[in-house]
Amino acid sequence: MECREVDDLLGAYLDGELEPAVSTSVRDHADTCTTCRQRLANLESIGLMVRRAPYYQAPAGLRARVIHGRARSAATPHWLAWAAAAVVVASLTGSIVFVRSARRALDPVDAVAQEVVSSHVRALMGAHLFDVQSTDQHTVKPWFLGKLDFSPPVTDLAQAGYPLTGGRLDYLAGRPVAALVYTRGQHTINVFVWPEASDAVSSSDARVIRGFHVRHWVRQGTSYWAVSDVNDAELEQFVHALQQ
Amino acid sequence: MTLRGPQVDFVCGPGINLPGTESQKKAMPRSFEEVVLPHLDAAFNYARWLTKNDADAEDVVQDAYVRALRFFSSLRDENARAWLFTIVRNTWYGRFPRRTGSAVVSVPDEDAEPRADIGLNPEAQMIQQQTVEQVRRALETLPADFREVLVLRELEGLSYKEIAAIVEIPIGTVMSRLARARERLTGVLVPAN
Repeated sequence: MECREVDDLLGAYLDGELEPAVSTSVRDHADTCTTCRQRLANLESIGLMVRRAPYYQAPAGLRARVIHGRARSAATPHWLAWAAAAVVVASLTGSIVFVRSARRALDPVDAVAQEVVSSHVRALMGAHLFDVQSTDQHTVKPWFLGKLDFSPPVTDLAQAGYPLTGGRLDYLAGRPVAALVYTRGQHTINVFVWPEASDAVSSSDARVIRGFHVRHWVRQGTSYWAVSDVNDAELEQFVHALQQ
Repeated sequence: MTLRGPQVDFVCGPGINLPGTESQKKAMPRSFEEVVLPHLDAAFNYARWLTKNDADAEDVVQDAYVRALRFFSSLRDENARAWLFTIVRNTWYGRFPRRTGSAVVSVPDEDAEPRADIGLNPEAQMIQQQTVEQVRRALETLPADFREVLVLRELEGLSYKEIAAIVEIPIGTVMSRLARARERLTGVLVPAN
């Protein structure tokens, strides 16, 4: 093979796209030809360099929109979207003011707590407790990949006496959330996790709803709800272990 | 023909369903969530390099997913990622049809000009010293047609055959376009002195 011929094939050679016989010819030529060998080195360094270019990850907002299928129409001008957002913000602000003035009759946190308990009960009654059943956090956590617009923290607490048994997708507070399932003896503990817009850190907030103990806390931009029929002290201990 | 033939390219594994074979009939139907959603980052990365800005890339990917959902039943083989890239690309060029034309006109694929001699080792060293930001800028200065084949090849690791299908050009053109793209990139990163 001549240099000119080899030169045209160097890229395909590096990309592994040549037939074996041709590939061997190119290599043999490069072994004996300094010029072609240097070109090969340059091409290789270009490849290495391009592979260092940024790999853009889909923003969380886009992921959420795609997952929810709430696709904005391609024809919607940006100003219209902004106007719509402004209307939503205005109405939300209005409703918050209204809720406060109504003496927290419709406290949104209480409403979520009710949903959390309902979901816990539904899961236990309807036998759909797991989408992924595993005691291995390295199996459960990746299962959520691509199914949610966030990656839920998943830790096994078997050491503390609360083994992880699996997880599932759930829908709470108007969004898809991760539900992690732990057990304590015969009891099931559901932990619901989703990102919290505010950076507020709250300590555990306890309540009892329809006989179930409920704990809620926010940490590192993540909202946690734990619900179970275990006794209050055990749930407190569980929450403490989870927060470690 | 010196490139690998299609019979070689198709030797992939038991997961690939060739048209009309038993394996296709037996294939389990899989959901959009399982098949297409996992490639969201790849779709965004490709769109981001095509459009060169976040807002357009997000719009394109979102539209592409709407289309992908609509056409999901037409996805036959296992290569959902390449299929999704095709939709992303068509969405982008469907919205701005002029971009394809201008890029093709300004960047003829034929090797009309003689190649610059790039066979010096100090250049390889210079290339290695480029920062991520310099690489990003250099890639963005390339014509879109060159940039996309580099991204599909180097960042997504696609074969020439897959790239050819997505970009709708012959495999030989993929090879020459990649060669020209790499050469141009060398020119941008290592200014003639």
